[in-house]
Amino acid sequence: MPATYFIDPNACLHLQHDTCQICVPVCRSRAIDFTQKPVEKELNVGAVIMSPGFGRVPDEALTKYSYGKHPDVVTSIEFERLLNPSGPFAGNVLCLSDKRHPKKLAFIQCVGSRDLGCNNGYCSSVCCMYAIKEAMVAKEHDPDLDITIYYMDIRTQGKDFDAAQKRAQEQFGIKFVRARVADVMGWNNRLKLTYSTMAGTHSFESYDMVVLSVGLDAPKSARELAEIGDFELNQYDFCKTETFAPLASSKEGVFVAGAFQGPKDIPESVTQSSAAAGIASGLLKKQRGKGIVLKSYPEEKQLAADEEARIGVFVCHCGINISSVVDVPGVDKYLEGMEGVVYHAESLYSCSQDAQETIKQKIKEHNLNRVVVAACSPRTHEPLFQETLKDAGLNRCLFEMVNIRDQCSWVHANEPEEATSKSKDLVRMGVAKARHIQPLAEQTVPVITKALVIGGGVAGMTAAMNIADQGFHCTLIEKNDTLGGNLNRVQHTVKGEKVPELFKQLSAKVKKNKLIDVQTNTELASISGFVGNFHSVLKTAKGKKAEENTIDHGVVIIATGGREHRPEKVLGAPITYSDKILTQQELEIRLAGKGKNRAPKSVVMIQCAGSRGDDLGYCSKICCTNAVKNALKIKEINPDYQVIILYRDIRTYGYAEDAYREAREKGVIFIPYEMDNKPKIETKAKRITVSFFDPILQDEVAVSPELLALSVGIVPEGTETLSKLLKVPVTADDFFLEAHVKLRPVELAVDGVYVCGLAHSPKPLDEVIVQAQAAAAKAAIPLVRGSVSVEPIVSHVDKDLCIGCGICTALCPYQAIQMVKGDDKKPKAETIIASCTACGICASHCPTFAISMGGFTNEQIFSQIKAFGEEKEE
Amino acid sequence: MSQNGFKPKILGFLCNWCCYAAADSAGVSRYQYPPNLRTIRVMCTGRLDPTFILRGFVEGADGIFTGG
Amino acid sequence: MAKKNKAGTVMVVGGGVAGVQAALDLTELGFYVYLVEKSAAVGGVMAQLDKTFPTNDCSL
Repeated sequence: MPATYFIDPNACLHLQHDTCQICVPVCRSRAIDFTQKPVEKELNVGAVIMSPGFGRVPDEALTKYSYGKHPDVVTSIEFERLLNPSGPFAGNVLCLSDKRHPKKLAFIQCVGSRDLGCNNGYCSSVCCMYAIKEAMVAKEHDPDLDITIYYMDIRTQGKDFDAAQKRAQEQFGIKFVRARVADVMGWNNRLKLTYSTMAGTHSFESYDMVVLSVGLDAPKSARELAEIGDFELNQYDFCKTETFAPLASSKEGVFVAGAFQGPKDIPESVTQSSAAAGIASGLLKKQRGKGIVLKSYPEEKQLAADEEARIGVFVCHCGINISSVVDVPGVDKYLEGMEGVVYHAESLYSCSQDAQETIKQKIKEHNLNRVVVAACSPRTHEPLFQETLKDAGLNRCLFEMVNIRDQCSWVHANEPEEATSKSKDLVRMGVAKARHIQPLAEQTVPVITKALVIGGGVAGMTAAMNIADQGFHCTLIEKNDTLGGNLNRVQHTVKGEKVPELFKQLSAKVKKNKLIDVQTNTELASISGFVGNFHSVLKTAKGKKAEENTIDHGVVIIATGGREHRPEKVLGAPITYSDKILTQQELEIRLAGKGKNRAPKSVVMIQCAGSRGDDLGYCSKICCTNAVKNALKIKEINPDYQVIILYRDIRTYGYAEDAYREAREKGVIFIPYEMDNKPKIETKAKRITVSFFDPILQDEVAVSPELLALSVGIVPEGTETLSKLLKVPVTADDFFLEAHVKLRPVELAVDGVYVCGLAHSPKPLDEVIVQAQAAAAKAAIPLVRGSVSVEPIVSHVDKDLCIGCGICTALCPYQAIQMVKGDDKKPKAETIIASCTACGICASHCPTFAISMGGFTNEQIFSQIKAFGEEKEE
Repeated sequence: MSQNGFKPKILGFLCNWCCYAAADSAGVSRYQYPPNLRTIRVMCTGRLDPTFILRGFVEGADGIFTGG
Repeated sequence: MAKKNKAGTVMVVGGGVAGVQAALDLTELGFYVYLVEKSAAVGGVMAQLDKTFPTNDCSL
């Protein structure tokens, strides 16, 4: 979706056949230039980040479901477009064959994923989520639509993803069927879908439409890029990386981010991008700032206090977006003689580059000191025009925007007269406000260029290292007496990498680094301040006594981690932990030991023994892979030992799917259980009996294993206290809630506070490391800048009018107003501009009108209201 | 409304972050609604002093809409 | 890569959500970025999505 039109060279008659060129004279902006040719450029760069995304799975994976043969078999991305209001049928879901509304629809999962037939052994990690999303949106369009999702395992392991899956099932009535789809064929004007269930029964069902949940393949350009960049690919043609350095390619200085590192969703891609940027920033810290070009502006023209308003108004056609409905020349004419308006003109595209030049020129020519643009939304375009004002030597706040497109021509497309008169009213109100707008000073707050990292596990240590690599001082506090957290217990990764070695190297690097101040036995006692200027009291336990010290810092990274949950009851049965009933982590430690009998001859592992139930409502994401890891270890010690894993969905997403397949090949028995028929655990005289329903045998089975291993899940540690201290929200499950789940995954609602690791949500080691690197990269941004800039629209207290009543301090939701002593020794309110969000609650409640909002003063708003009531004079 | 020819003049105060944004996206999606509303953008409806509402009625508004 | 010869610029290959985010963060961290995209516009696959899971908002 290009923001501007472009020429498709394959379809262009001029480029293909040297004819036509109709577009050249037709374009009113003269924006088409056929003399442009491709050029080769050589760039000298210090680092490269590879983010080419993902590619399409091979056609064979799709054609076996009649894709390409029957028009009503569509891919998930095609279905996404059908749902979209800007899609082919304006958001109506219609069968492509005869444009009828489908009544029955099926999703087929794992198309081109978990499929060695097309050499995609991995799980694409996103398809379950988008299928559920698309199914829910389709249900919103048509509540009567019958939707079935055919799946092998539902892998909604991400943060709060299970809740959405539950909603899809329970509220939206979407059906989930665990089955393998054999094929899809045309059947009269419908489709016949044949599937087989675990019990081995074959059935078929007819559908109007079938959606293929297509996986993510390596990008088409992968091999070419690898050759150019001289880095290695993995067996699936994605970029090869290691668990402990998940974003480093095999070539120094070349990093990878996003789906090219392995299939992943948006928040993880965004996290990896920030992390890769931070790593590159550390690598090139000596060159920081040398490559950038800072824009310079002419000196700002000062306005005299009583200077008369000289307003210039530009009324935009927006091509035909506005002018096909609103009488733009009429609106322009209406401005003639309006109070304060000394110049007005129409503009074809007021956002275009040449229009900016015109605005600058007219500011000079007519000595304008206020500019009004009647066009689209200030939410999208105000910064552009403000930049133009700065270029013309005017304060950027001397600008007002009137929205006659998004909120006028587009929404009154069939009422041109009414839309025109609305435009005139809005322009009149905008000009009335413009008469009262004043220049506002740019405000910045200096930043203390130090970081505080809370938590000395792998997340905290990685974040601290990255902050230090980027050249900033960092205090790393850990409440226990040693660093490491869970690294003290985890033995190896599913790929076999040795975790204690990572731990040894990382903690040595952290302790040696002069920019990192490690404080163990230390907790955060209190914190005050705001981004750039935090003051924290740290409490260090010294024997029975505690010592306090205060530090100043600009940013905070929360890496407080989590630990293995220890449920007292599992599937209804009370649990007494012993050498026969262990958690997966305990089993892992035992298996890594030297004891001769460290591996049990028979073991039953129970998945979701804490998670996804009444105990913990969420999926803990790592337990399936950990169970597979331990099962493989047992099989490595003795291939004849029996391992049975009882599960709900095996969530070995991404490349962990390889380990799952290997475990099955090595004879590990995987048996799914349903929540309405849970396995039963009985312990009598040290003998453990687990009975469960085997869907393949279609019968109840009871086994008495030597050992029972419980996949107990992950709980966060200490988030409740910290969330209160830092005033940052947590989710219903007590994990920290990020500022935006997709686009700001490591930032929290309070500026200058970041989160990573298990404190954010359960996740495996490589994702923890990436998230810690991302949090450090984001935290470094204010440190690099050295100051935080504040939008000039924040509140301002007139101390002469303030009576010190304190209503504003009590009401401010952001603690952005404090009471200080005025010159007359009386209490006065004062805005902490870095914390103010310009909501204006203080201004609207001030009994003496002592508080005004930049750009939204009482005077300005009253003038708009007054202009609203004025009769139209034409 | 159109039956008796009454065309109310409505003054709206829209929060920049939610209602104003929603009004923008209504435009982007080309939803159509009656053209009786004239809006004033504020950064938050917390900015609204009750006198703004009263002044709106004084200036001839038949109704005041606040969205935040 | 010789240490003394490092350029203070970074190249990002691919202008989807990952590439755009990396480029934005790099500029904020004080580096000049070359964002290389083979198609006519940045945005990648995310720009084609209607809504995003699990909140079903557009995330744009």
